[in-house]
Amino acid sequence: MSLRSNTLWEVLKSAFSQRVWEQVWPAVGDTLYMVAVSALITLVLGVILGVLLYITPRGGICPAPWFNRVAGTIVNCLRSLPQMIMIIVTLPLARAVLGKGYGSGACIIALAASCTPMFGRMAESALTEVSKGKLEAAKAMGSSTLQIIFMVLLPEALASLTRAFTTALIAIVSMTALAGSFGAGGIGDIAVRYGFQRFQHDMLIATVLVLIVIVQIIQVAGDVVSRTLLKKWKLI
Amino acid sequence: MSFIEIKDLHKTFADKNKSNLVLNGIDLSVEKGDIFGIVGFSGAGKSTLVRCINRLEEPDSGSVVIGGVDITALSKKELALERRKIGMIFQSFNLFESKTVWQNIAYPLRLEKMKKKDIEARVSEVLSLIGLEDKRNAYPGELSGGQKQRVGIGRTLANSPDVILCDEATSALDPQTTISVLDLLKEINQKLGVTILLITHELEAIKYICRNMAVIENGVIIEQGLVSGIFQNPNSKTGKIFIDVYSSFQNKEYYGEGEGI
Ligand SMILES: Nc1ncnc2c1ncn2[C@@H]1O[C@H](COP(=O)(O)OP(=O)(O)O)[C@@H](O)[C@H]1O
Ligand SMILES: [Mg+2]
Repeated sequence: MSLRSNTLWEVLKSAFSQRVWEQVWPAVGDTLYMVAVSALITLVLGVILGVLLYITPRGGICPAPWFNRVAGTIVNCLRSLPQMIMIIVTLPLARAVLGKGYGSGACIIALAASCTPMFGRMAESALTEVSKGKLEAAKAMGSSTLQIIFMVLLPEALASLTRAFTTALIAIVSMTALAGSFGAGGIGDIAVRYGFQRFQHDMLIATVLVLIVIVQIIQVAGDVVSRTLLKKWKLI
Repeated sequence: MSFIEIKDLHKTFADKNKSNLVLNGIDLSVEKGDIFGIVGFSGAGKSTLVRCINRLEEPDSGSVVIGGVDITALSKKELALERRKIGMIFQSFNLFESKTVWQNIAYPLRLEKMKKKDIEARVSEVLSLIGLEDKRNAYPGELSGGQKQRVGIGRTLANSPDVILCDEATSALDPQTTISVLDLLKEINQKLGVTILLITHELEAIKYICRNMAVIENGVIIEQGLVSGIFQNPNSKTGKIFIDVYSSFQNKEYYGEGEGI
C-alpha cells in the first residue's frame, strides 16, 4: 500500500496487517541471525584487538610499540571506510571464502570487518578507564601479564565494556539493514525492495518499527547490565 | 648484611627536552623486622625509590638486595615470583572494585593456584587479623578509607610477605584512622616479624611507629639513624624543617586546647 494512492491512516493500519507481517517476520529472523553472529565475532575479536591496542604502547603493561603502531594504523585504515564501501570491498573476500558474494554469510564477513575495528577502539578506551594504580598493584603482587589482563583489567572494565558493546551492537544492527540492499536479505532488503522500489509504504513503516524496537531493546538491556554491575559494586 | 640493602641507586626520568635526575645514588640498609621510615618533601623521589625496590620502575643503575636476593638482577619471571614476597600498599589503596573484600584478599593466592579450601582458610585468617570479618562480602565501593587500607594491607598479607612497602599509605586518611592503620602495621610487624618500609611526608606517622628513619633530599639520603636521635638533633636542612614544623604543630594543638576555643 502506497501513500500515493492511500491516506496516511490507511497505510498506517496496513503496516500492522497480517499481509505485511507475513513477509516482515522472516526478514526479522534473518536480520537477528546476522546481527547475532556478527555481534559474537565482533565481541570476541574486538575485545582481543582492544586489549592488544591497550597493552602494547610504550609504557603499557606489555610494551611492543612497533606492533602497536602497525595495528593502530591498520585499524584506522579500516575505520576510514564507510560501511557501504566496506560491504563492496569484502564481497570478493566473501566469494573467495564462502563461494558466494551475497546472502547472510557474506553480510556477516562485511559486518565483522567493519565493526571489529570500531569496537576494538571502543574497548581500548573502556580499558583506559581502569586506573593505572590497580594494574600496578596487580603487578606488585607478582601477576603475569595474562593474569593482569584476565583477572584485573577485563573484570574491572566490565561495566564500560558493556556500554561500549551496546553502542557497537546498535551500529551492527544499522549496518545489517544497510547490507540488506546488497543482497544480504533481512529487514534492509524488505525496506529497499518494497518500501523504496515499489512504494509499499506500509512495509517501509513496518521495517522502521522493527528497527526501532530492536535498537531500543539493545540499548535498554545494555544500560540495565552496566548499571546493575555498577550498583553491585556500589560505584553508583 | 642487612635484610634490605640498597646501593648507589640511580634513576633519571628522561623527557623529550629535559632529563630529571630523581634518585642520585641512594644507599640504604634496613634490618630484618624493623619498621623503617623515610621522610622527604613532595617530589624528593620517595615514591620513585619504593617503586624501584620492587621494580615497578626500573632503576638505571645500582642494586637492591632483599633477603640475599638481588632484585635488580632478576629476569621478568623470577621478578614476578619474588614480588609475591614483597607486599606493597598505596595512598590510593588500588583495590579491585569489581571484587569483594574476600576476593581482593584471595587474589594473590589465586595467582599461586592455591587450592580453594586453603584459600578460604587463609583469607579467613587474614580477615580476622585486619578486623574485617563482617565485611568479607562487601565491595570496596562501600568501605571507608580506613577499611579500604585495611583490605589493602590484608591483600598483601595473604602471601605472608617478608617486606611491606608503604607509599604514603596513611596520607589520604584522617588522623584517627591513620593511627588505627599504623597500629595494625605495628601489630603485623610484631606478630609476624614483617619488615616494613614506610614512606611518607607525615613525620607524625614515622614518630608513631618507626624505630629507624632516613631523610631523603634531592634524590639522596642525607640523614639516617634512630628516630629518637634525629628528632633530638636533626643534622640536615630537610630534617630540621620537618622537625620544626612538627613541633610547632604540636604546640598549636596544646594552645588550642588550653584556650578552649
Ligand atoms: N613516571 C614518571 N615520569 C616522569 N617523571 C616522574 C615520573 N614519576 C615521578 N617523576 C618525577 O620524579 C620526581 C620525584 O617524584 P616522586 O618520586 O613521586 O616524589 P615523592 O613521592 O617524594 O613526592 C618528581 O619531579 C616527578 O615529577
Ligand atoms: Mg609520592
